[in-house]
Amino acid sequence: MTDRLVRLAIQDGRKQGEHPLVVVARKGNILALVGADANARRQGLRPGLAFADAKARVPQLEVAEHDETADADLLERLADWCDRYSPLVAVEPPDGIVCDITGVSHLFGGEAGLVADMENRLRAQGFATRIAIAGTARAARALARFGRGGIVPVGAEAHSLAGLPVEALEAGEKTTTGLRRAGLTSIADLAARPRKPLAARFGDQMTAILAQILGEIDRPITPRRPLPDFVAEQRFADPIGLMDDIVFALTTLSQNLCKSLDRHGQGGRCFEAAFFRADGKVTRIELLSGQPLKEAGVLTRLLEMRLEALIDPLDPGFGFDMIRLSVLAGDDMAAIQSGLDGKAMASGEVRDLIDRLSARFGAGSVQRFVANDSHLPERAARAIPAISDESPSGVWRQMGPFGVPARPLFLFYPAPTIEVIAEVPHGPPRRFQWRRAWFDIVKAEGPERISPEWWRKTSDTRARDYFRIEDTAGRRFWVFRYGFYGIGTEPVRWYLHGVFP
Amino acid sequence: MSFYAELATATNFSFLRGASHAQDMVLTALLLGHKGIGIADRNSVAGVVRAFGTLEDLRKGVKPVEKLREGSGPGEYVLVDRHPELDQPFTLAELQARAKTFKLAVGARLVFTDGTPDIIAYPQDLEGWGKLCRLLTRGNRKAKKGECILTLPDLVFAASGLSLIVMPDDEKPGLDKALKELSRVSVTLWLGASMGHQSNDLRRLHHLRLLAQAHGVPLIATNDVLYHTAGQRDLQDILTCIREGVTIETAGTRLEVNAERHLKTPEEMERLFQPCPHAIAQTETFLQTIDFSLDQLRYQYPEEPVPKGWSPQAWLEELTWRRAELRYPQGIPSKVRTQIESELVLIGELNYATYFLTIYDIVRVAQDKRILCQGRGSAANSAVCYALGITAVDPAEHQLLFARFLSKNRGEPPDIDVDFEHERREEIIQHIYETYGRHRAGIAATVISYRPRSAIREVGKALGLTEDITSRIASTVWGSWSGVGLPEKHIKQAGLDPDNPNILRAMNLATRLLGFPRHLSQHVGGFILTQNRLDTYVPIANAAMDERTFIEWDKDDIDRVGMLKVDVLGLGMLTCIRKAFDLIALHHGKRYELADVSAADPESAEVAGVFEMLEKGDSIGVFQVESRAQINMLPRLKPKKFYDLVIQVAIVRPGPIQGDMVHPYLRRRNGEEEAIYPEPGPPHDKDELRNVLKRTLGVPLFQEQAMQIAMVAAEFTDVEANGLRKAMATFRHNGTIGEFEKMMVTRMIARGYKPEFAQRCFNQIKGFGDYGFPESHAASFAKLVYVSAWIKKYYPEVFACALLNSQPMGFYAPAQIVRDAREHGVEVRPVDANCSAHDNGLEDAPDPYCALRIGFRQIDGFKKDWSERLVARRGGNYESIEDLWQRSGVPVRALTLLADADAMGTIGLDRREAAWRIRRLPQDDPLPLFAAAQGRELGEEDDMDLPEMALSEHVIADYQTARLSLKAHPMVFLREQFAAEGVLSCKGLDHVPDGRMVKVAGIVLVRQRPGKGNAIFMILEDETGIANGLMWSSRFEKYRREIMASRLAVIEGQLQKSKEGVIHVIASAVHDRSDLLDALAISHRANPQLTRADEATHPVQQRSHGHPRNRRVVPKSRDFH
Repeated sequence: MTDRLVRLAIQDGRKQGEHPLVVVARKGNILALVGADANARRQGLRPGLAFADAKARVPQLEVAEHDETADADLLERLADWCDRYSPLVAVEPPDGIVCDITGVSHLFGGEAGLVADMENRLRAQGFATRIAIAGTARAARALARFGRGGIVPVGAEAHSLAGLPVEALEAGEKTTTGLRRAGLTSIADLAARPRKPLAARFGDQMTAILAQILGEIDRPITPRRPLPDFVAEQRFADPIGLMDDIVFALTTLSQNLCKSLDRHGQGGRCFEAAFFRADGKVTRIELLSGQPLKEAGVLTRLLEMRLEALIDPLDPGFGFDMIRLSVLAGDDMAAIQSGLDGKAMASGEVRDLIDRLSARFGAGSVQRFVANDSHLPERAARAIPAISDESPSGVWRQMGPFGVPARPLFLFYPAPTIEVIAEVPHGPPRRFQWRRAWFDIVKAEGPERISPEWWRKTSDTRARDYFRIEDTAGRRFWVFRYGFYGIGTEPVRWYLHGVFP
Repeated sequence: MSFYAELATATNFSFLRGASHAQDMVLTALLLGHKGIGIADRNSVAGVVRAFGTLEDLRKGVKPVEKLREGSGPGEYVLVDRHPELDQPFTLAELQARAKTFKLAVGARLVFTDGTPDIIAYPQDLEGWGKLCRLLTRGNRKAKKGECILTLPDLVFAASGLSLIVMPDDEKPGLDKALKELSRVSVTLWLGASMGHQSNDLRRLHHLRLLAQAHGVPLIATNDVLYHTAGQRDLQDILTCIREGVTIETAGTRLEVNAERHLKTPEEMERLFQPCPHAIAQTETFLQTIDFSLDQLRYQYPEEPVPKGWSPQAWLEELTWRRAELRYPQGIPSKVRTQIESELVLIGELNYATYFLTIYDIVRVAQDKRILCQGRGSAANSAVCYALGITAVDPAEHQLLFARFLSKNRGEPPDIDVDFEHERREEIIQHIYETYGRHRAGIAATVISYRPRSAIREVGKALGLTEDITSRIASTVWGSWSGVGLPEKHIKQAGLDPDNPNILRAMNLATRLLGFPRHLSQHVGGFILTQNRLDTYVPIANAAMDERTFIEWDKDDIDRVGMLKVDVLGLGMLTCIRKAFDLIALHHGKRYELADVSAADPESAEVAGVFEMLEKGDSIGVFQVESRAQINMLPRLKPKKFYDLVIQVAIVRPGPIQGDMVHPYLRRRNGEEEAIYPEPGPPHDKDELRNVLKRTLGVPLFQEQAMQIAMVAAEFTDVEANGLRKAMATFRHNGTIGEFEKMMVTRMIARGYKPEFAQRCFNQIKGFGDYGFPESHAASFAKLVYVSAWIKKYYPEVFACALLNSQPMGFYAPAQIVRDAREHGVEVRPVDANCSAHDNGLEDAPDPYCALRIGFRQIDGFKKDWSERLVARRGGNYESIEDLWQRSGVPVRALTLLADADAMGTIGLDRREAAWRIRRLPQDDPLPLFAAAQGRELGEEDDMDLPEMALSEHVIADYQTARLSLKAHPMVFLREQFAAEGVLSCKGLDHVPDGRMVKVAGIVLVRQRPGKGNAIFMILEDETGIANGLMWSSRFEKYRREIMASRLAVIEGQLQKSKEGVIHVIASAVHDRSDLLDALAISHRANPQLTRADEATHPVQQRSHGHPRNRRVVPKSRDFH
């Protein structure tokens, strides 16, 4: 998990911290270390230590919250990547991957070659690894986790793993302590002793694992299930590179994907198209949809638009040998019965339009307003990408309690200054000049005082007194006085912030 | 000037809403020219006493000072003057004049759960107060801790005698209904209106006017105040964030829209209410209805302790003489007789007889139940209390101090805290509830306030700072209030940028938040007992603990309104002494009580023996004098008699240490310097100072002495002395101490003292601050010091056994206690399935002492009922594991623990073999019917030929399971290796000359950073003894990791020997060698238990956050991170 953070830091171009990096998580009532980088480990900080203790020992620490999902995601991605070695890959959380390499090692120049290749490639990606190859998955796992890794010659498990501690059984704290208390500290100690008394005390499960580690019995690994629930992929014997071919492939994939979405009554909100280049580079393109989507045609069209709109056009290099289309996030979506006139509902069309516009011009170019929780009028509304499903932090202001609209719908931004003749110090404007025209005020109400948001870094530091005013022609304005007469040295200014309908 | 009084004022006792102290509210209202103020917090009257006290002080011409508790012990508070810059346009005298006509209404803002808008209620008279308190009590008792469930009918039922203001609220629909129902039952009902610069102020006002007219209720002007000045708005916003659990960025409209809810001038209020001037005038009418002030609360003693036909005073006299004769079977000494007489007169004059009788009643119950107890506090050290058995400090032996503390003029109630055995205190509490009933007995509250750490943490969270930044800032604040005064230095220390505005802002807000009450909690044991219903004096609320209730006022509030409380506290040492006395009776056939163990005759061999032991610093486990600092002081102070112990207890405290009293006292005591008592000129008594300071050789050591000097030598009046006391504590922050300085010095000179002396005297008092320890407490503690030392001297095995059975208490871990006992020649026998009981016990052994048998309780996680079953069914002996398992019926888990603790010795199995066999037993408890059958099934099996367990491994396993090993010290196994590295043993240091560079290794027992934190102490232990290491803080950062993390450490540095033979290694380096410990036993990770004095694992400051039930017996020191 520290590898993930360091990779992130490098990705963002941030300088790598010179301080030890630890990852912390709340365990019960205490904040404890769950990960530590090599630097931290050198200083004696190991997972399991309470964060406060770690802090006391090494005050200068880079600290990150444990992000289990992100770590799991990364592991999944790594497992994806491992597909290149063998189709039989399983994830062993929190930080392991098992591959069944039966019959594939020759492709990489033998087992040693495979290990070297894997190690190099992973190091290049910023991962520290320990790799072991053994006759059984369990033995390999034990060797990687509790030994130094390496390659166990066929049938030599008992010998090669003899020196491992009993922890390698991963049979739980209780069993491990029990074994240690009995003076049985290594796999060798167990291997040499009768199994029956062991099974009587620690269970058959434990002796079974022991047998697996010793290479006596084997249990096949369970290959991991592709994680995105909906995924469609196509491999190409000859890598493809022409746009037409790619679009054609995407069309097929969309159809397959949408079929399975439909079968499950689901619609996709977030799609990903992954293009695997023959040389190992993977390009991923994400596509968001404002509404759950399961129409293959629409999906293909959106994908096409997205590809066209890419700033960095898709570079096929020597061609793609695989394209995968998957749904990263979906929503329930019952089939909609179309209206009698055969048309879908109007709002659906708007959303459809939004999706298309967003796909073409970028999500940020199509926006809508949401209510924002703030007293300041200009902050009370915020524009967000229209396809975002972000929920508003506030609620739209209702009519005031006495049937008066508290605020105008239309605000000027920035609010223009106006020349005002007003009763000093507290009164409302009597006349004001805006755009070289004078307005005579006949009715006024206020002030409503809104204080600045003191916690922000801003030059807006004075309270505003808002007045609702009406002029002789019945035009109604929302003006405010910025500052108070007689307080402070800065001149008092008036602004027109909005107009009422 | 126009009449206005703000009647809707919330203080910070409206938790996380009000953003000003009650004191500030009152003072500001006075300064603004208000004619009165109404203090009303949410469903609570917890803050009103503070407002009342402030006004009282101002009327007496005393500036308000805030008292911040730092702990639960006596004297553990700081007084903070928060108005140093009070540059008001008035003199104190003008303020005083205004205060005299200022009217304070106290009440509560009732917040309802049924949609009724808030209603502010002020009692008109004593009866109304009782109604309000009972109303709140009813609401509190219906809800869980910290909440109050009220509905409109509750109020309608209790409305008479209350003046009410209904506060309209757009969110609450019940306004109309409330007005309708209340106007039927109350004529003193108002409708509150506020002009808060909201968007519809005028429309709302108009609407309310119509509504008021419709119900025939007058409109009254308020500003619904949350803070005293507009400048507090940001703090109020932060409080809102804390309350809502949001950051300031996301708080949005949960915050107030503007900063208008502060106290405004009457002119401003008049302007705002221009359309409705009569609303302003109504504030005067309203205040006229209030005729209640907190000084009308008349406390009544419970009558139970006085039999019919007796007056309390007569009964007290009768009892005292009767009991005195029992105390002195040979006749009451004449000195004591005269003292009792004069004390009884004084008690009579002050009318305190019932108080003494109430305490006597509680103490007597404890004696009936054979629970040890001892009183302490100003009134406890009296001949009367000795006669009544409240204290064991014999007036015949010691000079008592009663009259000195209970002065006629002080007007302070007497103070007696009674300590009970901590394990049995609950019995006393239950007795009090049974005797007086829950409606008449209640526990005082403790106001939990924001302290530096909690303040910065919560403010940081509200400002959106990340956890690690706030914890960094928090970790540099070493638990002191004054520390926050220098934010920049601390920020830099934390490695953060002091120019970062966010961090500065957080520090600033946190500083202002300090001392704000956070919530109320129940006090450890402060009981209030009344004759009539307690809930007519003060509301009662549910505590978090089941079946516990507490009143809303804390100790200081109770003092202020003159209610008397009895402190029922738990003290671990009393439990230990009780257990020791019982063991002595059982095994040595002698029955002792506290008063029987007397140091009256310092010449006698018995008493001299005890002091001889203490003088050597041989005081592990002895009450109060067992800390490192105390142990080092003992050889220097060389106590010879009881009063020396009183001084010993008081001298190793921050006050005397920081006031530099220790060295002058030691020099005088050792005869290196003469004690001089300056004299005033005639006609004054030339011995006046000698009388005050003689017993401490001219050096003021006790809190009481400082005040006495001012009163005697400078003729301070009580009020002046009180003022001095307050100023003294806050001299860091303001200039008022200057006034007192001038006053004291000139008066002393006028009375014929030399100017230099007068000045020095003052400086001494100033340095003393309020950290001094009260002599009255020290005397009671000294008694327990002597008794525990006496037991240790003559019955070391009993002492060790009782200490172990009273754990957790004191400074030392079981391993040190056992080791100490063995060094005193006690045979210690291991825990054994066939010999031990649950508690540690004594067994016959060749003279002089019994042998100490370790009990099952030393095994971590071993349950008491397992022990009981094991012992009850033992019969002869358990012969095998199977026998033990089948006959005792304890779960396999218990057997496993026994095996791991190596307690199968008499069965003939070592821990490894035993554990191996037990592991084979089925884990579930078998049905009885099948138990025997299963036994047979466990036939022979293959021999596993388990590896033999090394001794070192055994030792480490012992440490892990029972935290002590009788087999060897872990260091034994490493000695050879260390010797090769040139590392000395702890004992070896004795033979090295002073100044030599040495290396010493051992298990880390204690890490402490006392006082100002410029040195770090580490105590190491090896098989030969202990060694003290000291590292100056300048080097600490470099070795922080080693110091904080080592379980086994090597200290390298220069040897320093004092002339009393105290040895320190001034460390230049510390190395962590814990890995060696782990290597000793791969199967058992050794974690030698640090002693409870260790501040890195038991930070002292945290104690105040936790429950203070374990009375603080540690000398005050700073937290350690």
